[in-house]
Amino acid sequence: MVTTSTSPASSKPSPVRLSDMRPRFEPYVIDCGEIPAFQFKGRLRDLLAARQITAAEAVAILEDMLIIREFEEMIVKLRSGAYTPLPDFNYRGPTHVSIGQEGCAVGACAPLTIRDKITSTHRGHGESLAKGTVAIRAMTEAQLRQRVPHSRATTREQLIEEALEEHLYRTICELFGKDDGYCRGRGGSMHIADFTVGHLGANAIVGGGTPIATGAAMALRYLREDAVVCCFAGDGAFSNGVALESLNWATQQQFTNHYAGDHRFGLPIIFLVINNHYGMTHRTDDEVTGIERIARRAAGFADNNMHAEVVNGMDVLAVRDAVQRAMRLCKAGQGPVFLDVDCYRYFGHSLSDPRVEYRTKEEEAAWRAVDPIETFKAQLREAGVLDEAGIAAIEERVRERNARAAKRAAAAADPAPQDVLKFMYTDTRCDTVPAEFAKVEILQPLTDLKRVNGQLTYKDAIREALYEEMARDRRVIFYGEDVADYGGAFKVTKGLLEAFGRERVFNTPISEACICGTAVGAAMVGLRPVVELMYFDFALMSSDQISNQAAKWHYMSGAQTEVPLVYRVSAGAGKGYGGQHSQTLEAMFCHIPGLYVVYPATPADAKGLLKSAIRDNNPVLFIESQGLYGMKGPVPEGDYLVPIGVANVLREGSDLTFVAWGPVVHDCLKAAEKLKADRGVSCEVIDLRSLVPLDLETVLRSVQKTGRCVVASQAVHIGSYTGEIASAIQEAVFDYLDAPVKRVGAKNGIAPQSHVLEAAFLPSIQDLVDAATAIL
Amino acid sequence: MPNPIIMPKFGQMTEESAIVEWRKKEGERVAKGDVLFTVETDKSVMEAESFFDGVLLKIVVPPGVNVPVQSVVGWIGEPGEAIPETPPPPRPAAKPATATAVAGAAAAARAPVAETPTVIVPAAVTAQTPSAPARFRISPRARRLARECGIDPTKITGSGPGGRITERDVRAYLMAHDYDRLRITPAAKALAIREGIDVLSLRKDGERVTVADVERAIAEKPKPLSRMRQVIAQRLLQSKLTQPHFYVTVSVDMTELIAYRNGLKASGLPYTITDFISMAVVRTLQEFPTVNSSTDGKTVRWYSHVNLGLAVSIEGGLVVPVIHQAEMLTLREICDRSKQLAEKARAGKLTPDEMSGGTFTISNMGMLNVENFAAIINPGEGGILAVASTQKQPVVRDDQIVIRQMMKMTLSVDHRLVDGALAAQFLNSIKQKLEDLDLWKTMT
Repeated sequence: MVTTSTSPASSKPSPVRLSDMRPRFEPYVIDCGEIPAFQFKGRLRDLLAARQITAAEAVAILEDMLIIREFEEMIVKLRSGAYTPLPDFNYRGPTHVSIGQEGCAVGACAPLTIRDKITSTHRGHGESLAKGTVAIRAMTEAQLRQRVPHSRATTREQLIEEALEEHLYRTICELFGKDDGYCRGRGGSMHIADFTVGHLGANAIVGGGTPIATGAAMALRYLREDAVVCCFAGDGAFSNGVALESLNWATQQQFTNHYAGDHRFGLPIIFLVINNHYGMTHRTDDEVTGIERIARRAAGFADNNMHAEVVNGMDVLAVRDAVQRAMRLCKAGQGPVFLDVDCYRYFGHSLSDPRVEYRTKEEEAAWRAVDPIETFKAQLREAGVLDEAGIAAIEERVRERNARAAKRAAAAADPAPQDVLKFMYTDTRCDTVPAEFAKVEILQPLTDLKRVNGQLTYKDAIREALYEEMARDRRVIFYGEDVADYGGAFKVTKGLLEAFGRERVFNTPISEACICGTAVGAAMVGLRPVVELMYFDFALMSSDQISNQAAKWHYMSGAQTEVPLVYRVSAGAGKGYGGQHSQTLEAMFCHIPGLYVVYPATPADAKGLLKSAIRDNNPVLFIESQGLYGMKGPVPEGDYLVPIGVANVLREGSDLTFVAWGPVVHDCLKAAEKLKADRGVSCEVIDLRSLVPLDLETVLRSVQKTGRCVVASQAVHIGSYTGEIASAIQEAVFDYLDAPVKRVGAKNGIAPQSHVLEAAFLPSIQDLVDAATAIL
Repeated sequence: MPNPIIMPKFGQMTEESAIVEWRKKEGERVAKGDVLFTVETDKSVMEAESFFDGVLLKIVVPPGVNVPVQSVVGWIGEPGEAIPETPPPPRPAAKPATATAVAGAAAAARAPVAETPTVIVPAAVTAQTPSAPARFRISPRARRLARECGIDPTKITGSGPGGRITERDVRAYLMAHDYDRLRITPAAKALAIREGIDVLSLRKDGERVTVADVERAIAEKPKPLSRMRQVIAQRLLQSKLTQPHFYVTVSVDMTELIAYRNGLKASGLPYTITDFISMAVVRTLQEFPTVNSSTDGKTVRWYSHVNLGLAVSIEGGLVVPVIHQAEMLTLREICDRSKQLAEKARAGKLTPDEMSGGTFTISNMGMLNVENFAAIINPGEGGILAVASTQKQPVVRDDQIVIRQMMKMTLSVDHRLVDGALAAQFLNSIKQKLEDLDLWKTMT
């Protein structure tokens, strides 16, 4: 069924593309082209004359660099008690300072608008401060008053000054873990974010932010927003798989060639490498990679070399110029752009790193001699914008503003201990689709759902749910490996491409980390992505993106952002596919707070739960069973939801309770039948459906009645979520137990290929009967 | 570095002890010599003093837990000092969980689960937990149902795996015992459940069970013996089982000694009749080394010293303080020491060493108006002399019936060491001394 808001089938050509490639073996040479380095030679004096910058902008650039340096020097001093405004403050937290790199942060953020997004790194104070200060200076009075609602300022200059101080205050509060911090003290230095100015978060996993930025750019592209993403990452990150996968993802030709139809538009993203030459303490260029310049990587990802350039990061104007040009390219659909910004980190990885083990004092002195702040001051003097006294006045203002903010922050309230779990989950969901997204174009309605006597297969129930939700809400997009033309490895999504077109349904590279990570970024920017992992086993490839990113950002941002996405993962087993395609790994993800985990066992639940998952504003891991794809069952037509976190009693009984999820639910029903026939035992069977949140109440009520319980899943026994359930039962209703709680699962081994071995490996109906008999 | 507080070894034979009460709290300042805690030994409650000045940093062993002597029970130091890792204290004795209380008498019979009395009286505290009690297997659900019904689940036969009692066994038991026809007031049932009285044991023909019935059952419910009585029970049983007793009785004419003693008393001297008996026994034991000996059935051990035990009746039982090396003492010294020990005994202040090491004991019931009695030998001793009341009796002296102050003494001896003739000689030797006024005149 299609919701009424959809338009009738259009007459557009089918988005399906049939490849028609021929062999071509004529000799030729691949020309990798040229990558310009350090081409910018502009002087402030000349840029002013050419009206490419105003004096006020130049002064702001200096002030923003000074703000960063003062802030980070405060951290350095706090560690030794030398920050005089806070002589006794005990700062607990990271000290990843970026002193020396201010030119990168300020030069890159200066051209960005409040609509543009950034992601940053564990060394991200600079970007975080600059994104805010630049946005604040460009704000309307109304926007400014929103940031400082109690201000009594009468002039715009006063308002900006107060907003800048508030920005510092909230940043320092976050650094100090205070409740007034941007992330309410949940994120701290390494996870600071300010979504109101487009800062999607610093990231303490090296490279971890790159797919988020890429996904955000996908969303901007999809939503036709006139904005770009600037993805800051260090040189060390580009040895990491997910960063390289992100480059590959961002440069996919399907965004710009005939696959893109009439929206041939490259991802509006600038990968800005803050290339300080060190990954923690190792040299990235001289030691752990095969290339001198990271910029060369770009040549491997796009025929246009991603417009790569090497930029002098010690020259704030060079960075500004490069980013300005990159933004123009991105906004023209020519993105992505790769900028290798050469700079230097004066301090060590953190303040516990004395640097002497791996580099010379002479090297540091040489870089300090081209300090971005000092060289820019010289240009300001040269251009006559500021004299010595003018510079000193700004320095004084910056220092005093920082001190005021720091003192207020040190005295600010800590978060309440009882709120330790506040912001873990959001309780919101999308009950009403905003009008702008409710109008959905359907190219070709789904017609091949074979509903017989009201019955659908589990697979088609999922297909119908996806179809209905995509027809309901244009923000729901769907992608994964081979899910478009082919309809997925199990043909679960066949017909969705035809219905919604390639902008909403597309194939991805075999890049599980990016499949899961881009969904996080897209969700942060307003989409509601559903992505597919062909096998549950592959979730381990993307476990950082699922566990450290999707699961954590609502909490770590202090609920600034929700991450409404669905990971559809397909669990194998029983097909002789061996150890890497047969695992049921729900326990690993149930162990990660911040995720919802659901696992339907019937077609009706598959549809209703998937629809709930798509509408929920929490990230949901939606597990499907390949063994159940062909199972038929009654599935209501049209819109209905199965609530997340509510178990289902499939069979009532009085002597024993089976608690199960996934395909084992059906084995439990058969075991219950057999126990009834052979021994007259009356078994209750509960399908949990949701593992997180867990409907323990239904389980406990049943066990209180029966006094006996077998908990079963297809997962290997050790560390299985069955243990969690069994433990919860005995803790809560020990006095009602007439026997120990039994657990049934696969053997503590690896799924073998041999069907004889696999049959012995997996839990069987007989295992369930035996477990029940042992406690009767 | 904080100083450890060590569980003192109060007696030579003490292997483990339990703290009765900590007199200091964690964090409280302690001066050297302050009482830190009290310890219950077999026979009394002792005070343990601090050897250190400082703060009681940590209590490692809580009250009621038996720990080996010399083990660390706490730490004294200065605030902030780190406490070294100590091995965890042994598990406390089983608490009187409601469930075990419900199990009641039969549970105790099947599996001797210890119960801790709530009120700690001197020398009567925790019974020891058996190291590996036979497992009484019952499912939590069945236990709960039995508790709700107020029945004793230990009488139920289990049909579950390993003989575990399950809900259906309880239900079958209830049906077999016509539980649904039991008439009991709600208050009586609630009380029975709380006190662990099996309501089925209260059943009355046709009549409703009332609170009064339950209260009677509670009064009759077996309660644990005091620690002291348990020690008495264990030691006397050991004696009776391992030391074959026989008994010899004589009558002693105390007329002259009493008159002599009354004269001494009138002149302000403190001697009691018991002191004379003690002295007579000490002297005689030196003459008969076989009696001042003990045996394990294979070897015989003679004690060069006479360590004379004096049975003292105290509230709730009996203790036997020992006058060590009594053969070295004068009559006056024996008199003083006896008085001192009796006072300490009645005050509960005897040290374990003052209650151990005896070689022979006197049990004097003279003030209790008994004609004669036989005593049980303290384990490890050669004999015990039971002294009865002195009574005016018609006796024959020089073929005349005269009235004399007569006192019967019954000697109990270990037949493995002492035969009848020797016992008779030993006992008569005591008698002769008591009747020999000249002997006493040399000593007083």
